[in-house]
Amino acid sequence: MSISSPPRPRQSTTTGYSKAAERKHRLAALDMKVSPYLFISPFFILFLIVGLFPLAYTAFVSVHDWNLIGGQGDFVGLKNFTDVLTQPRFYTALRNTFSIFLLSSVPQVLFAIIVAAILDQNIRAKTFWRMGVLLPYVVAPVAVSLIFSKLFADQSGMINEILGTFGVNPIRWHADPLASHVAIATMVNFRWTGYNTLIVLAAMQAIPRDVYEAAVIDGASRMRTFFSITIPMLRPTIIFVIITSTIGGLQIFDEPRLFDQAGQGGADRQWMTMTMYLYELGWGTQKSFGRASAVAWLLFLIILIIGAINFMITRRISSEGKR
Amino acid sequence: MSNLKQEPSIPQIRQTAGAGAARAAARKRKKSSGFGAERRPRWVTYTLLGAVLAISAYPMYYAVLLASSDAVTIAQTPIPSLIPQGNFFENVTRVLDADIKFWQAFFNSLLIAAITALSVVFFSTLAGFSFSKLRFKGRAGLLVFVIATMAVPTQLGVVPLFILMAELGWVGQLQAVIIPGMVTAFGVFWMTQYLESALPYELIEAARVDGCNLFRAFWSVALPAARPAATMLALFTFVASWTNFFWPFIVLGPANPTLPVSIQLLQSSFFKDQSLIMSGVVVATIPLVILFVFAGRQLVTGIMQGAVKG
Amino acid sequence: MHTSRKSWLAVTAGTVGVALVAAGCGSSDGGSDGGSDGGGDITLTVATFNEFGYEGLIEEYMAANPGITVEQRKAATTGEARDNLNTRLAAGSGLADVEAIEVDWLPELMQFSDRFVDLSDPSLEGRWLDWKSAQATTPDGVLMGYGTDIGPEGVCYRADLFEAAGLPTDRDEVATFLGSSWDDYFAAGKQFAAASDVPWFDSSGGIYLGMINQVEYAFENEDGSVIPLDENTEVEGIYRDIMTAALDDGLSAHLAQWSEDWTNAFQNDGFATMLCPGWMLGVIEGNAAGVTGWDIANTFPGGGGNWGGSFLTVPTQSAHPEEAKALAAWLTAPEQQIKAFLAKGTFPSQVDALDSPELLDVTNAFFNEAPTGQILADRAAAVTVAPYKGPNYFGITNLITDAINRADVDQTDTVDSSWNKAVQSFNELGLG
Repeated sequence: MSISSPPRPRQSTTTGYSKAAERKHRLAALDMKVSPYLFISPFFILFLIVGLFPLAYTAFVSVHDWNLIGGQGDFVGLKNFTDVLTQPRFYTALRNTFSIFLLSSVPQVLFAIIVAAILDQNIRAKTFWRMGVLLPYVVAPVAVSLIFSKLFADQSGMINEILGTFGVNPIRWHADPLASHVAIATMVNFRWTGYNTLIVLAAMQAIPRDVYEAAVIDGASRMRTFFSITIPMLRPTIIFVIITSTIGGLQIFDEPRLFDQAGQGGADRQWMTMTMYLYELGWGTQKSFGRASAVAWLLFLIILIIGAINFMITRRISSEGKR
Repeated sequence: MSNLKQEPSIPQIRQTAGAGAARAAARKRKKSSGFGAERRPRWVTYTLLGAVLAISAYPMYYAVLLASSDAVTIAQTPIPSLIPQGNFFENVTRVLDADIKFWQAFFNSLLIAAITALSVVFFSTLAGFSFSKLRFKGRAGLLVFVIATMAVPTQLGVVPLFILMAELGWVGQLQAVIIPGMVTAFGVFWMTQYLESALPYELIEAARVDGCNLFRAFWSVALPAARPAATMLALFTFVASWTNFFWPFIVLGPANPTLPVSIQLLQSSFFKDQSLIMSGVVVATIPLVILFVFAGRQLVTGIMQGAVKG
Repeated sequence: MHTSRKSWLAVTAGTVGVALVAAGCGSSDGGSDGGSDGGGDITLTVATFNEFGYEGLIEEYMAANPGITVEQRKAATTGEARDNLNTRLAAGSGLADVEAIEVDWLPELMQFSDRFVDLSDPSLEGRWLDWKSAQATTPDGVLMGYGTDIGPEGVCYRADLFEAAGLPTDRDEVATFLGSSWDDYFAAGKQFAAASDVPWFDSSGGIYLGMINQVEYAFENEDGSVIPLDENTEVEGIYRDIMTAALDDGLSAHLAQWSEDWTNAFQNDGFATMLCPGWMLGVIEGNAAGVTGWDIANTFPGGGGNWGGSFLTVPTQSAHPEEAKALAAWLTAPEQQIKAFLAKGTFPSQVDALDSPELLDVTNAFFNEAPTGQILADRAAAVTVAPYKGPNYFGITNLITDAINRADVDQTDTVDSSWNKAVQSFNELGLG
């Protein structure tokens, strides 16, 4: 079920290769041997060009003194990495990225499961409701940012205006670090919760109904079937959703960049994420493509580590749930 | 081969024989029997769904409200009235008349998104079929590698990728956006996950017994079985391509824009007219909503089929 | 797809005829007589941002120069234009034949002046205000760009709010009331504040730009060495003066320019005055549509002030540098820039344009029929200091803007702690 387990060895011995001619047999064997690689090759060829080449290129850049425009300078070893790691801004960016990531991914996955569970019932007008939850996904991030930065304006925004009518003091969406993270996470959640809901729903629908029937016959409550059947059966999908949202979440760029007019993450960099930091180093006044590349590689490693941790935790939780 | 086409359900039923056939369960479900979830839920469910829908729809509706208003009213009233004002068509006309190459951008976006979606579905399903159902050396390692590639921060690839496109002479041309997006790690991962559970080995076996080579087996067994997930992947890819901003902005630029690049130009005047900008947002989103209304049905049917096949 | 392919073909085809066309169009006054159309058509691209007012001019140029097609590539914001320029410079291709560059990001490109065609031309000497062409001239005397517009600053004010506070409303009387120094301007603000609840100015960031652009050597010495920020008493003094006016005297509306709140404040009596370069008049008119009472005073605290303005450059990547240079020269000629001013309000930087009756006769209905042509020309003449902006200027001034926003807009830091953060960030830049 999980992504790394080998396929079940169902290559049965009952098939009739023996009936086939010798040549045909050899061709078939070759087919079995080569085709799997041929089938996955388009991805790897394309990745080689548009993924690995830039990655190798930036690895090379990251150990050089490298101006974005001026190009290659001296070889400096790991200096770019140590420079970046000693700057407080790196840690600000790290803090912001994780804060926004947690504020978006955790509620997103939870809501996706809950809403999917609601949609998984025998409701009327299924199509309508399902399309309804996916609606935000078709709104471009640029548009989402334009809309939400109006809604979240500190003095003139609708959200503070509404809070004001309930006597709540205006929240300083752009000044306060946590508030700005919440606002940005809201944009992300708005766009992606429905999407994840449908992925989870698709997985729920794929669970054979007779499994439930058996549980009901055994007298299991609805809650119990949900936690001991649905959730474990959703394991691969939940891993999938968590991994993709981790990867996407840690690279978040569009929404925080467009959260104000300056696009640098606030006067105190209170909502500057790692990718924005990378961008500021490379395209900002420093134009240090070397340092930016170092940050890209650090971010890459962080994502890999978090991804691995995520994977292990999710695996453990869902296998415990199975028991 | 032909045998298989006529009776695709035999191996399938055989596969699920231990569980007494999901098909039967699904058929039963229509008569709303069995598990509690099959009963019609009560009003609480609909209230919850209504709330979810309201939250989903309001921001877009807010954009419509601003698009039908005018700059002064928008600045004076933080909470817009719930009923659209009368300026919507006037504002949309201003968007279409603006010097932003709207129609060119529209057809560029359509072409890029359609080609990308088809290509991603085809190549991802092919790779997903291989990863999930075929045995070959290094399979697990390569799959982990595919997932790891998603962790490469895309912002930094911009310069090397741009250099590459410039070498090829593709700057300003649509293939500079299409080619890099023709197959995605996400797509491969997604189809692998799906085919893992949705495609019984027996089906492939049966096809091979009929003398199909692996590609034929893919074409006539895996591809049809992948349809529900493929529909979703196509839709997701289409939307992702349609809404992508940064790379098209850099490599195509405003001379040969996609829709988001073109709409962004509405902000180029010194004075930012929110009613105009929001009209642009609405106009750029409407095609997707239309697509969504049609493909959405398709999508839901797809999910239902997924359930039956699972 | 069609247009781009066509343009690429055109570019390739055009290289054949370069020599011939160059001979015909190379003259610096821009070939308004059409020149030779060589043996092939060429396409020139002009990349601009915001508003340059070039739409009509490009038509005119193409009509006068058969065989040359000019395409304009617009970027929505200066930030996007800068991203695009930097990426394409880094990649070494893909730039337009004529690239517009804002004065703020010109200094950081100076060290790569070899990526741009030297545009110096004896016949164009004296076309621009001295300080304008000085901004685009490298230490070795290379002219990187032809000046387009400038942003001579006056003070825009709300006459209706002044009247309500019992202050003069006539623009000449207001000019006197505002005085000539920054102290005068802040003192006038205190007088206004005593009689009104409306904040005096829109944004401390705007005031800062007004003040820092009057300092000749703000962050860097003449030899290009950087002044350590913790020893830079002049800049710290400016910072503290603004903070005193903004926070202690309560004159600031605590807004960040260009933010949603700032835009909305125009409709809600958010502030009484703002520093306004010529191009800002259009911003005010748009944002404050329906608000009556805006006017502009022919004065500026602390002497003249300039805010912004752009240049047209020709990257060496261009396949048609000669034609591109000719086009840039034509677009930045006084006659053309006056037309651009009439179209979009970008105030010309050309000496001859400044005393042209066409320009001086311009009045602005929204600003109570103020003779904006004459006022802005006076304001341009009052600019005496050309601030030296080295490669680190933009980065350092950004640190101060951040400090101001932390203390005045976000109010997450005190005046002192915010300054200390700026010093710390400065040290991180490692410019020492």
